[in-house]
Amino acid sequence: MNGSVIRTLILKDWQLHRRLIMMSMVGAVIALAILHSRNETAFMIGAVWYFVVLFVLASMLPISNVINERKKQTVVFLMSLPLSALQYGMAKMVSTIAIFLIPWAAMVVAGTTLVLGRHDIPNGIIPLMLVLFILPLIGFSIIAGAALISESEGWTVAVTIAGNSSYWLVWYFIMRNPAISGTLNSPVPVWNAQIMDVLGGEAAVIALILGLTFYLQSRKQEFI
Amino acid sequence: MNDLAIELKGVSKRYPYFALDNIHLEVPRGQIMGLIGPNGAGKSTTIRILLGLVRQERGEVRVLGHRMPSEQVAAKWDIGFASDDMGLYEGMTLAWHMNFVRSIYPNWDAPYAQLLLKRFGLRAEQKIKGLSHGQRVKSTLLLVLARRPRLLVLDEPTTGLDPVARHEVLRELTAVMTDEGRSVLFSSHNTQDVEQISDRITFIDRGRIIDSLDKEAYLDRWRRLRLELLPGAVLPFLPGIIGIRQEGRLAVATANAFAADMANAYESAGVRVKSVEAMTLEEIFVANVERSREEVEV
Repeated sequence: MNGSVIRTLILKDWQLHRRLIMMSMVGAVIALAILHSRNETAFMIGAVWYFVVLFVLASMLPISNVINERKKQTVVFLMSLPLSALQYGMAKMVSTIAIFLIPWAAMVVAGTTLVLGRHDIPNGIIPLMLVLFILPLIGFSIIAGAALISESEGWTVAVTIAGNSSYWLVWYFIMRNPAISGTLNSPVPVWNAQIMDVLGGEAAVIALILGLTFYLQSRKQEFI
Repeated sequence: MNDLAIELKGVSKRYPYFALDNIHLEVPRGQIMGLIGPNGAGKSTTIRILLGLVRQERGEVRVLGHRMPSEQVAAKWDIGFASDDMGLYEGMTLAWHMNFVRSIYPNWDAPYAQLLLKRFGLRAEQKIKGLSHGQRVKSTLLLVLARRPRLLVLDEPTTGLDPVARHEVLRELTAVMTDEGRSVLFSSHNTQDVEQISDRITFIDRGRIIDSLDKEAYLDRWRRLRLELLPGAVLPFLPGIIGIRQEGRLAVATANAFAADMANAYESAGVRVKSVEAMTLEEIFVANVERSREEVEV
């Protein structure tokens, strides 16, 4: 395998997206500042903003990192380098996922730390937070998978719109589950069977989408 | 190891509205091959197949001794490819691109890259989005040439350039080609550019190679004969004449295998040869394409 060239490509994607990551982190910090407020309305605005930052990043990153490379013909520059279509596809998949996972993980840790540090917010909210934090990761996997496999702006935008409109519906169904919503006021996190089932389901969906993307990427034999 | 830099044998590739049909193409090491064809002739598809970017349905492709596309990674270490539609990262500087390419290619020649910056009038710290089309083309060529590749594949590199930028690019390419070990495939629909730098020329049209010869052979063999038929004379069919346009007693014959005794043959048939004119490469190209299309239609 052509390790050093693939590493260089991943590093290149990271350099190209530092600004997008920084902007996301600034958005997250502003949301965290609002979340520190003791006012309930401000807290809700901060929480929604926090998730919106993740949804926006999940939508923009695959378009910027995958689709724009085709649209702006920089892929022609890359395909002249000593690498195969498979190696390019794998580098693109790894860089896209890694670039999203870093700010996502930072935001999960920051959000959880905020809840743990605030005595007026019951720690029973943490399992639900985790379930909700994984939703943008699923959305990102679907959008990134669509972008990597189709390499089409039209398809990726369509999947992004469908994905982003589904978040609130999924939220609604999760919140209606009494086994999840009933433990929100508990002073300690309650990891009951329903929560574990939902988390397991989310992990399975992500594994399935990424596995399918990897399989279809590995079958590509042509750059264009 | 053979002495061919590029070898395509019976290569075919079919798309819904275009097919590359049974392409045979050979570029000997150290030679500069010009690939001339109208827009949509199959130049870019041929180039993408020989770079391993598109997989041929039939036929065999070898580049610098490597079988393509299976050995494309090994081959591409020694290939420099640039095309008119190649994009660079708009938000990054030329220096960033130079560092990026240098981090991949151990052969990167930094002093030569600096020299090219000067010759092309480029500034390394300038972002790509601030460059004109000509400057972008020159930046792309800098990134390719400073790798010191053994094979240069240039797909329409001079398209859209103003005369000064074209001159600068062609001058640099000519300088690069003084290295006899280096082979070049240069595609264009601009025959002047190809004529200026190529040793050998291949014409392609509608997915088929229609002719491939040394440049000098084209210029030596192709002639336009202006004829006048004397009363009662009939234009004879002469081998080597591929096209005749006749209006009344005046005719223009195009020869693709001109021989000095053609004039005598016409004279003895009662046809006066008013002049024998050399043809430009563009005229040869157009005549070749027209003949090929007529043959296909027949």
